[in-house]
Order: sequence, then C-alpha cells, then structure tokens
Amino acid sequence: MSVGLQHYLVVSAVLFSLGLLGVILRRNLLVIYMGLEMMLNAANLALVAFSRFTNNLDGQVFVFFVITVAAAEVAVGLALIVALYRRRQTVHAEDLTCMKL
Amino acid sequence: MIPVNYLDLLRLAAPETVVLAGALVVLGVDLLALREVETGLRRLLLLILGAVTCGAAIAWMAAFPNLGNFMQGMLVVTPLTQWVKGGVLALAILTLLLSGGASFTNHWGEYVALLLLSAVGLMFLVSSESLLVIFIALELASLSLYILAAFHHDAPESAEAALKYFLFGSVSAGFMLFGLSLLYGLSGSIDLREIAAALGGPFLDPLLAVAMVTVAVGLGFKIAAAPFHLWAPDVYQAAPPPSAAFIASASKLASFFVLAKVLSVGMGGLEGRAVFGDYLPGWVPLLAALAAASLLWGNLAAIVQTNVRRLIAYSAIAHAGYMLLGIMGGKAGLPALVYYAMTYGFTTLGAFGVASLVRDRVGGDNLSDFAGLSRREPWMAFCMLVFMLSLAGIPPLAGFFGKFYLFAAALKTSSLDLLWLVILAIGMSAVSLYYYLQVLKQIYVVPPPSGLAAAPIPSLPKTVIILAALTVIVLGCAPNLLLRVLAAP
Repeated sequence: MSVGLQHYLVVSAVLFSLGLLGVILRRNLLVIYMGLEMMLNAANLALVAFSRFTNNLDGQVFVFFVITVAAAEVAVGLALIVALYRRRQTVHAEDLTCMKL
Repeated sequence: MIPVNYLDLLRLAAPETVVLAGALVVLGVDLLALREVETGLRRLLLLILGAVTCGAAIAWMAAFPNLGNFMQGMLVVTPLTQWVKGGVLALAILTLLLSGGASFTNHWGEYVALLLLSAVGLMFLVSSESLLVIFIALELASLSLYILAAFHHDAPESAEAALKYFLFGSVSAGFMLFGLSLLYGLSGSIDLREIAAALGGPFLDPLLAVAMVTVAVGLGFKIAAAPFHLWAPDVYQAAPPPSAAFIASASKLASFFVLAKVLSVGMGGLEGRAVFGDYLPGWVPLLAALAAASLLWGNLAAIVQTNVRRLIAYSAIAHAGYMLLGIMGGKAGLPALVYYAMTYGFTTLGAFGVASLVRDRVGGDNLSDFAGLSRREPWMAFCMLVFMLSLAGIPPLAGFFGKFYLFAAALKTSSLDLLWLVILAIGMSAVSLYYYLQVLKQIYVVPPPSGLAAAPIPSLPKTVIILAALTVIVLGCAPNLLLRVLAAP
C-alpha cells in the first residue's frame, strides 16, 4: 500500500482532534498547552503533506514560520502561567474563577 | 524564482517600519536613559514618544501615499487599507494618552513597546492578502495583546483574564491555521486572489466547508462574535482599562477588515445564500448564524450586568453582530463596515476612559459606582452620555449613521435576502437602549454617595475622552467626511 495524501490528512485531523480534546478535557494548564501545540502541529503536518503532493514549496515555508510562532506563543503562555502562579499559587483551570457570568 | 525588490518592500511597509523602530527606540530609551527618572515623568515621556511614533507613521502615509502589490499579495496597499491603518494608529495614540494618569504598572517602556508592536501586527494584518502574512500578523498582534491584558501588577484578576484570553486565542489560532492549511491544499496557493480563482464556486466541497468553518472560528474569536466570545467579558472587565480599550477598538477594527478580506476576496465565489427557509451553503449563511447568535446573546446578557466594563463587553458582542451584516453586504458593504468599526472604536475607547476615571476615583466600575457622576464631573458625564447614546444608535451620533449604512448595505446587495436579520438587528438595538440608559440613569438621576472628596482628574485622559466624544459627534453629524474617502475607488 502506498501512502497517499489522504492518509496524511487523516493523521492530521486525528492529531488536531486529540489536541482539541486535550485542551477541553485536561485541567492542568501545562497539559492544556501541550494540547495547543498538538493542534498547531496537526496543521503543520497538513501543510507539509499538501506541499509535497502538489509540488509547491509555499507550504513548507509556512511551516517554518508556524514553528517559530508556536515557540513565541509558548514563551508568552508560560510567562502568563508564572504571573498567575505568583498571585494565586495555582496552575489548574478550575481555579480560574475570579469572574463569573 | 521572482526577484525581490527590497526598495519596493521598504516603500510599501514604511509606516509599519516606523512604528516598529519606534517600539525598539522606546525600549532602548527606557533602558538607557530613563532608569533613574521618577516614575511619573518617565511614564509621560515614554507615552509621548510612543504617540509621536504613531503620529509620524500617519504623517508618512499622508505625505507618501505609496500604493501597490508586493510579491503576489504579500503586501497589498490600497487607499482603503491606508485609512484603516490610519484608524488603528489613531486609536493607538488615544490609548497611549489614555494611560497618562494610570498607575497599574511601573514597566512603562515595555507597556508602550508592546502596544506599538501590536499596532504593527494589526497594520500588517490590514495590508496583506497572503495567508502566511495574515497568520503571522495575527499572532504578533495577539501575543502582544495577551501580555497587555496581564499588565495590572496588583490585580489577580488581570492575570486570570489574560490567561483565559490566551487559551481561547491559541485554540482559535489553531483552528484558523488548520483552516488555512486546508485552503492552501485545496487551491495550491497562499494568495487570496489565486485561492479565489482556484476554488471557483458556487458549490462547496466538504473539505472546503471545514476550512471555511475553521477560519470563521479563528477570526470569530478575534471579533468576539458569539459563540466564540467567552473571553471578552473577563478581559474587558479585568485587563488594565487602556489595554482593554485597545483590544476592544483597534484590534476589532483590523480583525473585521481581515475577516471581510479573507471571505470576500479569498472565497469570492462561495457566498451561498441565507434567505429564510431557502439557503445555499456558503459563508453568508455561516456569518448570518454568527450574527444572529451575537445579536441575541450580546444584547440579552448585557441587560443583567452590574459591572459597566462587563456591560460594554456584552454590548461589544452585540456590535460584532451588527458589523457582520456589513461583511455580508459584500464589497459595497466594506466602507460602511470600516466606518462603523472606526466610530465604534472611538466610542468604546472613550467609554473605557470614563470607566477608568471612575475606577480610579471611586475604587470600582460597577453600575453603582457611577451614581451621581454628573454632579461631580459634568463634562465626563456628558461624554459618557454621548458614548452610550452613540452605541445605542441615537441620531445625530455616529452610531446611528453607522448602523444605518450597515443595514442599507446588507439590504442593497442581496435583494432583501437578509431582511430577517436586519429586522432582528433593529429589534435588538431597541433592546440595547435599555441597558445603555441604565448607565445614564446612574450618572444623571441617582444621587451621588456622600463623603466622596473632590480630586482633580489627570488632564491627559480627560483630553482623550473629550477628543473621542468630539470625533463621535463630528463623524455623526457629517458622516460623509469619512464615508466619501472610504468609498473612493
């Protein structure tokens, strides 16, 4: 069996869904971040696969930028967690209850 | 391989370059020259330096109106994008000056630099038609705004609100990137115009439907449309007021513009149809659903709010619903949309300014803290009156004409297809009058609490608020001043 574009896309969709599930179901902020990264990497996989199968390099360039942006995003996110931890001593999503509807 | 003309690039990206250089200069000056200077003076100098930078960028755009298209849509500068960028910069200047009397942080260099960086992100967002640049610009703007939302050093809610903003924002960025990757795969290009040519229409491929929905999720978060609005009330309430004002005004203006661009340029043949009871899949029915949800949820939830900034947040969700109507109006709706988003930006910025003054004085920004404001601060009370009535859409203020042109654009282009949505929007704007009048009732009718000493208010924020109110009145009385130049080809 040869591996075609649709196989990559299915893996990418599965990765994306797993990442989203992680974000929704997990309670620890650090684990939620890992879910976020997985969502971005799912998109990266789709971009690279499309790029490979359509012989168009734009997608690969796109991925380089996305990886960089993801690193910046984690830096900001971790800084926010540190800021929160200093004031509230928690990294759990269910403790974020200062404000209610 | 296309040869790159860097001189062209510099010419087209000059305003952004000016603001970026300004951000670095602010950081450098703060680090090298102002370490020993007393906080108040340091804040004033840095804020003025930031405002001058933005002013210089506006002046540059006015003096050298370079238009063009660089590298197949990487950077597309048209008169309309110049005006939107000018709006973003003007809102940035007002936000900077609004921070004049504030004491929520001591790190003013970082604060001003981040604000300028997010302005750079928003400017690139406005003037690009390439998926790659749009994504990077969106992230640059968002990452700076997340930090700005967390800047309140002694309020624990500020960090919490910023974290919620970050989590929702990152999830929606993930959605958007996934949608962009599908768009790229289906069309083989990252340029919006080539994508539109490759996709064709009017029938929707299932994978394309997924791409459309995920992109709408990603940008729906930025414009705070229901059901992607959950971050907005918390951020508007708990972020430092100037940051919240910038998030509510400039970020919204640029995000609406880019949403309109992605949909009407990149998916030009895939509008679909949203007639009541007879619809064709496409982005118009998708936006119609978002608009209806935002109008209903925003206006109804605003009624029960007791915190003024939270009330403004829910009203912002409702206003996102009105503005989506302009996007559905297609190309002809774009000037109306930009006019509305700009005047809305000035209005909401001013309202945040007044809320911030009340908070500094009384110690909170609940509805009851506004009691008797008209006795203590007649001018600020009058400005708040202007802002609230403009948000409610009372003539002759800018909010009324903005709504009028939006509804007209939505009805004109689609031969009454969207009549049901316009009727809903008009009904809901009648509902909105109730909660805006609640605020004004506190200000003008309820007597002030006793024992509140009179204290002078800082003059910079006061000037900004009066300036914003004047803009709302002038643009309301003479909407053609702005509309004519926006509609010019």
